[in-house]
Formats: sequence, structure tokens, C-alpha cells
Amino acid sequence: MNNIYLPQLVTIEDIYEEAPDVRSFRLVFKDKFLRDSFEFKTGQFGLYSAFGLGESTFCIASSPTRKGYIQCTFRRSGRVTGGLYDLSIGDTMGFRGPYGNCFPMDEWKGKDLVFIAGGIGLPPVRSVIWNVLDRREDFGKVTIVYGAKTVADLVYKNELEHWEARNDVRLVQTVDPGGETPGWKGKIGFVPAILEETATSAENAIAVMCGPPIMIKYVLNALGKLGFADEDVYTTLENKMKCGVGKCGRCNVGDIYICKEGPVYTAVEVKRMYNDF
Amino acid sequence: MPDNFLKRRDIGKLIASVRDAGGRFVAPALAARQAVYKDISSAEELDDDYILPRNSYKELVFPQTEVIADFTIGKDGVGLKGRDVTGRDTVVFGARPCEAASLESLRSVFTWGFIDEFCTKREDRLVVITIACTKADGACFCTTVDLSPKSVTGSDVALSETDAGDYLVHSVSEKGKAFIAKHSDVFKAKPSADAVVKPIIMPERIKGVDLEKIKKFLSDTAHYENPVWPELTRKCIGCGACTYVCPTCHCFDITDEATAYGGKTPFEGERRKNWDACQFDNFTLHASGHNPRDTQFKRWRNRFMCKFNYYPKKFSSKGCVGCGRCIRVCPVRLDITEVMEAISKRP
Repeated sequence: MNNIYLPQLVTIEDIYEEAPDVRSFRLVFKDKFLRDSFEFKTGQFGLYSAFGLGESTFCIASSPTRKGYIQCTFRRSGRVTGGLYDLSIGDTMGFRGPYGNCFPMDEWKGKDLVFIAGGIGLPPVRSVIWNVLDRREDFGKVTIVYGAKTVADLVYKNELEHWEARNDVRLVQTVDPGGETPGWKGKIGFVPAILEETATSAENAIAVMCGPPIMIKYVLNALGKLGFADEDVYTTLENKMKCGVGKCGRCNVGDIYICKEGPVYTAVEVKRMYNDF
Repeated sequence: MPDNFLKRRDIGKLIASVRDAGGRFVAPALAARQAVYKDISSAEELDDDYILPRNSYKELVFPQTEVIADFTIGKDGVGLKGRDVTGRDTVVFGARPCEAASLESLRSVFTWGFIDEFCTKREDRLVVITIACTKADGACFCTTVDLSPKSVTGSDVALSETDAGDYLVHSVSEKGKAFIAKHSDVFKAKPSADAVVKPIIMPERIKGVDLEKIKKFLSDTAHYENPVWPELTRKCIGCGACTYVCPTCHCFDITDEATAYGGKTPFEGERRKNWDACQFDNFTLHASGHNPRDTQFKRWRNRFMCKFNYYPKKFSSKGCVGCGRCIRVCPVRLDITEVMEAISKRP
């Protein structure tokens, strides 16, 4: 019988401390065939199991250009994520996926890209960023605007340093007012306002963003002011999910099931949605 | 013209022959003083007085809880094995035509892209025998949602009761025809010449309800902000009872139940698929604390939208079959037809 809810077993090959209560796992499939054949597209997500506690949904934070493993990043906040957080290198957990649609990156060749992320909204965007950087010559200018509540809450600090150092990436980091530390060299302010300040050109450009629902709403406004057309603005929506395959009934925004018809949407689609997220 | 004839006194024989072949015979019988669908072994258990069983028979294809995988966590690592469902030949006898129409709705969700074989494999082996209604109560509203006690949608074999308590038999589906052929000893070729069919009761169509208007109202995203929702649904206490008795409600949770967790001690457990309800406040609660449906009226609105917008629009199937169970079971007397009427009146 084809059991659509049966996870695959994966081994935690490495663990990275990203921020307080935030960790990344590098995961490899135990099954050799799957390890070699597993494919996914940027923007897709999976369900991750801590056996005995249940499943949680996160995006696949690594890029499909990096073969042989997948990475997820999560914050310890509930029962399942708490259980996952307690796992160690070499432990086994479960993975189901990949599910959902993806960013249409082939359509973006030759265009400038601006990435906007808030807090733990960076992981799904990171998959796109590395996909772009791994074939840098296919794309134009790359701008990344990333903010978190505090300096400590910024995730992927090593990679932020790396992006900062690259001369083919413009990285603008910000923290919410009050979240700065004495040595903080980045901006202070909320992501939408900082984005406007960057005055990134909308000419031949695509914007990709992820963050909390409230940030998404304000960033949409800011991008509008910068001249971005809604069809050139992409976001990935997250909602609570249990099945990931369009059956359990909780991720819908009005009549749209994020798991099946998303999680990637253009601003055109987001603006047509029921006010339910 | 009926295809066959079934004598009341032969039902016992039918039950025995279904069970002897390893099958289940599910029919309305009393439990806690009310008619429910029950696995029965003799005709004496049948409730002769029921209008509609309290529970839906959706649990025959979508059980309240079921194990989907087993795991063991030991010193040598994790063992994981998915469960298989082969299904069991099951007859549901005495189902009502309203409810029969709901199975294809459930199926449309459980086969949308990914096929949930826990559901489909059971449904493949389910034979639905409906009996046209000769009784109704004030909560029945099938005619208001374009069904009727004469509907045969989703039915495999449709029966009409005669004055003598026997049944005229209409085979509706191939599955139904095969079932009748298999049990030809009880499904007689010809009705008695004097068989008179009992009058079918038609619940009155609620005049104020206009399904087209409801559809139009719900299709306009602006309706979300309409004060009609909090006004009409304020009294909902979010118990979720309506969803559990509803034949088209399909929401579920996936949870683990284990003998222990963590530490160095080996443990084992099961992963389960359990009924859940969109009426509960933590149903859509994010880990961050954000909740897209943070108040009860939004959750109620979602359920109504699911019935009258998502099901028809996404799956071209019925989200509401008018069985009235949600009305009968509601502890605060929130009547879905009153909301349907109120929305039909909106400009």
C-alpha cells in the first residue's frame, strides 16, 4: 500500500547553532537509493518527525544545487520542535516531502534580485539565495535585506558574514529598535522601512520575501513604493500544517491550500486572498 | 420499476451471509438510547424507529483514530513501519440518501493529488444500502441543498420500504449490482403483487435559502469583513461537535503516542491519524503565537466556507448534504440554516 503519511528516515549529519533556540540540521537519507536520487525544488517544504512527539513543517532551507543532503532550520517553540532540538549528531529522525510548489527561478535569468527576510523567515529565502549564488552568472545584481528583533536573533551568522564579504552581493542587515548591541554596524529599524531606504531599483528586478504575516503586509507596500509590480514580487507563506498534502484542513487561506497550491505565491495572488493569514 | 425485492424477515439471513464471508454489517442500532451506526450480528439489533443515526458513517472509511505507522526507538536506532489497510468488506444498511451523497465529497479530498489509501481502500470495499426516508424531523433540510429522500447519489443499492415493512430494491451502482447478485437468495426477483410503497416524506425546502446567493457572497473576498459573521455565530462555544457528526468534515491531526520519550530508555509508539476540528482555537495556531483564525467567528466562518465555497469550488462536490446532524447536536442551538438564510438575504 502506498502510505502517503509514512516518513523516510534521515540521519542528522551536523547541527548548527543559529541563534538562541534556533538550530539547523544537515540531514541525509538513510536509504542509499533515496540519498542519491532525492530531488526537490527551491521553495518546497517537508514534514520533520521527532518520533514519539510528532511532526512539524519547515521549508527545505538548503539549495537543490547542493546535492546529497537537505538542511532545515527551526526554532524550539513547542513539543515537536523541542524534541527535535534535543536530538544530537548521528540521531535519526523522519522526513516527508518535498511538498508544494517552487519559485520559478528559470524565469528570472538575467534579472536583478532583491531578497527580503525577517527573523526566521530567512531559511526559505536562503534556499533561493544559494541557488542564485551557485550559478551567479545567470542573474543580475543581488540585494539582501535581512532583519531580526535583536542581533542575537539573526540566523546564519556565518553566511551573513560571507555574503557581506562578497562583492557581488549587497547585504543590508537591520535589527528592530532596541535590538542593537554596542558594536552593531548594521541598520536599526524595521525591515519594510529599511527596504525603502535601500532604494533598490525595480527595473528588470524580482523581489523574494519571507517573514511574519505582518511583515509581509508592510513589505508589499514598501515594494509598491519602490515601483515593483505585483507579478514580480514573490513570497512564501507558512501556515500550520499536519498532512502537507491537502487533506488535514488547517493551512488554507480561504479557499487556497498553502500546502498544495503554495507555499510560493506572487503578490498578485496574495492580494486576491481572503484576509485569513 | 424495482430490480428486486427484499423481505424484512430475510435481513437476518443477509446479515449472516455477509458476516460468514468475513464482512461487517453496519446498520442503525441503539446505543446510549440513540440510533447509531453499529456493527451488528442479528436483525434483532436493528432500530426500527430511527430517522437518522446520530453519527455519520464516514467513520467506516475515515475512522476517528487509526494507526498509520509504528516505530521503535532503541539503542540500535529507529525502526519504522507503515501500516497497511486492506479494508474489509463492509455493508452499511439503512443509510439515508442525504448522507450517501457525502462519500464522494470525502473522496474528492482524500484523492486530491495525493491518494490517502487508508480511506480509498476502505471505500472500495464498502457497499452503501440506502433506505428512502418515510420519516423526517425538524432538522432535516436535504431538499434545501438540492438533495431529497429519493436521491441515489453515492448509494449502491437503494431501498424503498413497503407498508408491510419489506423493501423494493433498486441497484444503483455496479458494486450494488454485484452485491445483489452475490446475495440472490435474499434479493428476490419479483416483489409481491400487493406490495405498496410507504409514502416518502419530503422535508420542506427552506424558502429563504438561496444557494446561488450564498455562493456569490462567499466568492467575494470582501465578505470576510462582514459583521454578519460575529453577529450570527457569537454563541458558538467551539466544542466541535458539529464537525464530528458531519459526514463531509474531513479535518484530522497526526500525532504520536509513545510509551516514553527521550532519554536513554528504548521506547516504542504509534503514529496516528485522528479526527480534528477547525472549530478549535489551537487548530491553526502557529508556533510563533500568531493565529490566522484567532476568534471563534473566524473558525465558524471557515467551516461555513468549507461547506459552501471550498467543496463546491475546489472539488465540484457537496459540502453540505442537509442531514441536519449539526443542528441536532449543537449545545447552543446554532442552526446552520439560519446562517444560510441570513446570508441569502444579504445584498
